[in-house]
Amino acid sequence: MFATGLPQIGEAYFTAASMMIGITSGIQIFCWLATMWTGRLRLTTATHFVFGFIFIFVAGGLTGLMLASIPLDLQSHDTYFVVAHLHYVLIGGALFPLFGGFHFWFPKFTGRMIDERLGKISFWLLFVGFNTTFFPMHLLGLHGMTRRIYTYSPELGWGNANLTATIGAFTIAIGGIVFIANVLRSRRSGPIAGADPWDAATLEWAAASPPRPYNFALLPTVTSGAPMWTPPEDRGVVTGMRPDRREVLVTTLTEAQPTQRMVLPGPTPWPFLAAFGFTIGLYGSVFAFSWHYIAAALGMIGLIGWFWPRRPLEIEP
Amino acid sequence: MTPVRTLDVTGLPMYEISSRAPLWWGQLLLCVIEGSVFSILIAMYFYLRLSVDVWPPTRVQLLHTGLPTLALIPLLLSAGGSYIASEAAKKNSRVGMLVGLGSNLGLALVFLSFRFVEWRTFNFTWASDIHGTLVWSILFLHTFDVAADLIMTLVLVVIVAIGRYGPKQRIGVHVDSVVWYFLVLIWLPLYVVLYWGPRLVGGA
Repeated sequence: MFATGLPQIGEAYFTAASMMIGITSGIQIFCWLATMWTGRLRLTTATHFVFGFIFIFVAGGLTGLMLASIPLDLQSHDTYFVVAHLHYVLIGGALFPLFGGFHFWFPKFTGRMIDERLGKISFWLLFVGFNTTFFPMHLLGLHGMTRRIYTYSPELGWGNANLTATIGAFTIAIGGIVFIANVLRSRRSGPIAGADPWDAATLEWAAASPPRPYNFALLPTVTSGAPMWTPPEDRGVVTGMRPDRREVLVTTLTEAQPTQRMVLPGPTPWPFLAAFGFTIGLYGSVFAFSWHYIAAALGMIGLIGWFWPRRPLEIEP
Repeated sequence: MTPVRTLDVTGLPMYEISSRAPLWWGQLLLCVIEGSVFSILIAMYFYLRLSVDVWPPTRVQLLHTGLPTLALIPLLLSAGGSYIASEAAKKNSRVGMLVGLGSNLGLALVFLSFRFVEWRTFNFTWASDIHGTLVWSILFLHTFDVAADLIMTLVLVVIVAIGRYGPKQRIGVHVDSVVWYFLVLIWLPLYVVLYWGPRLVGGA
């Protein structure tokens, strides 16, 4: 952002905002560390990916703080240093947790366990491959290699680091192939998982694996943050909801005490008319202002038609 | 696992005409969204004001304050109508709802007609300069919101007048007031910015 010609006051805001990300992310990281510290860790594939995520994300976050300073950002603007930073943040912060979540919930959505040995092999390939690919890019960027170039002259001396990165990229690809193979194999012939293979705390593990479309025949009541670790005699279910219409419970915000048994509206074409009117009206407004009125009129007709009272006016309990 | 404890919800009400209704919260969040847009417009107004010496540009006459100030009276009173209607909806008083919604609608229409008369005095369009763009953006968005709410109020008046309403529609009457209070309240800072802003920070 600093290289876009912002006024100085704007640059100050961007520095402050970038630094503030460091505070919130730092709090998050300490929360995760405290969670792991107070728990009993099992080194499953999912946990491996979580460790990998924290390691990579912290490294990416540190270069992010460096980039919040205006002179350093201007110096490294549009170089491989930025490429390395954003891949550490994105792959570390988004992709590794996704892999971890996939391995953790695989038994829930397929009903079969995923192979741990192949899972750990794919983790190490991805983790080592990722760092081999992107760590050298920090140094390349600091040596002045700019982004979005397809070639450079050999006397610049960037050859070895780029070769290392290429080797890392192929390692990532192999890790991806191992992961896909593991998924396909485990989905076909993995051991049957059962409802709660991890002895986990949260409610999704109370449902069958894979879950039924309605999740639970009777809504479970929850008395703690770890409902599956509540003694069975303290667990309960909600009764008295009618299954033949769309009923939901309205509860208080903090205590979650049920206060209403609300009936949601059934299917109707009216909202489609409203959506249709807004869509063609607002597309049209790109070309002529008057389409705004068409959008407003059609949308209003759709919404009023949807709102118009239908009999019976009072729903039977 | 056979659960021992059961929580029976058979006796719970199907509706509640109060701030416990999910629709009430939906309307409140709508106000948050619209309020954010108005806040952004106010920020734009002052940010762009920084980039010129004279605000509004010299050939643009200052907005008159008389008519908009006078228009505040019916606008503020219309919120009273809204209150009567929302309280009557709780008590299921058809007369109360008609009186409340009707006075809300009538007074708001007086406010809007003041506004349309006032617009004829502007000697700039939304395309003439940055001041004109912002004034018209703010006025258009607020008028559009007011018009949408008045159509909603009109539909409610018709429903209550022909007697085709149940508890669900009374929730509609009740939450209609949330949006109307918001549109009345948000107009006060917008009024100060549009009509008194150039006099206070106009330069020249």
